[in-house]
Amino acid sequence: MIDFKNVSKVYDNGTKALHNINIHIDKGEFVFVVGASGAGKSTFLKLMMREEVPSTGTINIKNYNLGEMKKKEIPYFRRNMGIVFQDFRLIQNMTVYDNVAFAMRVVGAREKEIRKRVPYVINIVGLSSKARNYPMELSGGEQQRVALARALVNNADIIIADEPTGNVDPQMSLEIVELLTRLNEAGTTVIMVTHEHSLVSQFDKRVIVLDSGEVISDGVMEDGEIPIGLASHLNSDTKRRTRTKFGNKISKKEKNSEKIIAVEPKDNVKVDDEYLDALIGDTDSYRVYLEQDDSQPKGGDSQ
Amino acid sequence: MKKGGSLSYLTKEGFHNVWMNRLMSVASIAVLMACLVMMGSAFMIIVNVQNVMNQIEQQNVIMVYMDDDATQADVAALQKDILSVDNVLSCEHEDKEKAFQEQLDELGSKADYFEGVENPLPETFKVTVKDMEKFDETASALSGLQKVNSIRDNKEIAQILIKTRSSVTYISVGIIAVLLVISLFIIANTVRITMYSRRLEINIMKSVGATNWFIRWPFFVEGMTLGAISGVVSFGIVWGVYKLLNGTLQSMFSVINSGFKIVPFTSYALYILAAFLVIGIVSGGLGSLVSIQKYLKERGGIVYEEEE
Repeated sequence: MIDFKNVSKVYDNGTKALHNINIHIDKGEFVFVVGASGAGKSTFLKLMMREEVPSTGTINIKNYNLGEMKKKEIPYFRRNMGIVFQDFRLIQNMTVYDNVAFAMRVVGAREKEIRKRVPYVINIVGLSSKARNYPMELSGGEQQRVALARALVNNADIIIADEPTGNVDPQMSLEIVELLTRLNEAGTTVIMVTHEHSLVSQFDKRVIVLDSGEVISDGVMEDGEIPIGLASHLNSDTKRRTRTKFGNKISKKEKNSEKIIAVEPKDNVKVDDEYLDALIGDTDSYRVYLEQDDSQPKGGDSQ
Repeated sequence: MKKGGSLSYLTKEGFHNVWMNRLMSVASIAVLMACLVMMGSAFMIIVNVQNVMNQIEQQNVIMVYMDDDATQADVAALQKDILSVDNVLSCEHEDKEKAFQEQLDELGSKADYFEGVENPLPETFKVTVKDMEKFDETASALSGLQKVNSIRDNKEIAQILIKTRSSVTYISVGIIAVLLVISLFIIANTVRITMYSRRLEINIMKSVGATNWFIRWPFFVEGMTLGAISGVVSFGIVWGVYKLLNGTLQSMFSVINSGFKIVPFTSYALYILAAFLVIGIVSGGLGSLVSIQKYLKERGGIVYEEEE
């Protein structure tokens, strides 16, 4: 379904955004992509939406080879993808209905289809009673659901959510992820980009961690588990709930117990398995966040 | 996918945009209008200059003035002589009493000064020439006739004007061309600003997979509408200004030639309207396409850069 093979991206100005990315996402999967600012999330999304092409490597999404795709194919390719953003991007002077219908109109759908499809999709996101309202009259969570409806309306079978919970409160964040989960259960592939580890940790989903343009971890997290990454991924709430070891030795036992949830190196080095191995017995060069045994993470909030 | 329904939707959007962005619309219509009005004025000036030139050119007329002591018999004799001169097409006698009376009438109350004054005007013949090439010979032949005091011809002034005509035309065409380019830029910039204010919609359109033509269409319609409105309004303005200036222009050109009438606007109205509409719509459409192309290239991204 989605296949990144040895993908690297270097921008014209020399910025190395992604390095040797290998990701395979199957149809019907639900994947979180986490990473700090500058980790390469934006570039990852741009490549997915075929706004950029990889410098090396190949990307295949459905039947499209993104690097070799003709320019005029791009719009048709994008109709397979529904994308939602942190800032919702709703048109303020259009009602919920029209915002959703807009996405159909601009790809050339007939008014008859629109009248059938739009109420159906609005119902899926649970906003039937607000179809005639304007975005301003809705809560953040509701607005994000409108955006989601718009992403769904053209029958996209891949939903990409770029920090969809960035502007909504923790309760709403959970609801949005739950809604995404429901869509996923109905067969839609969902890729959600976020920096909220605590939110991620509440779902047993596959998590891909990006750091400095590389995939540093990729796997299904068990209940409450947070993938290892830079401590800057952690929000203050998570940091509060962790025990901090600073400048102390880290034991092999601790390393293997998978209790390390984040490492904050003093120098600007990359955190990977190799680095963590080297940490063992090292001193004074890192700060380790260890999960507290008695703490259960709750709803996430923003940094 | 079929386009029928949504093309009309997008077209309506284009018209709608003109209204929604009415401040910018009015601004761009105004500037485009200024360009068109200048163009129209330049055109009408050319038309009239050309007209004067043509009249002068065709007016291969030599005025023949008789001696003051010429009698009625002399007049009749000279008329005969003139007509017998080679290359003379026609000869028209202007009675000096009649001409004097006309002058007095024109002077109105000031004519009192001439009370009791003897008619100072000579008997005059208006001679038309067949072939301009032999103009000089004919003129000298006429001046050699009996009882001819002097002759006057327009040849020199005609030649000067004919020379200036081509430069006037070149300059005007140049001005019109420059104005055309300016109006293109203006429309391009207006649509650019509209596009900037509608970047959210463009962003959504791109992300849901609208083709570039679908994205362009409303702006294209908007640009063309602005152009068409400018064309029609400018037409009205040029007409009005022309009517107002009619008298002034008339007397301006009369200095050169007394028999001159300025070209009536109505004889060019349709051409001007058509030209204004074409220029307005083409520059509106082209301008919007140019700027949307630039916009889509430069800042048409779907995914915003991460804010650090």
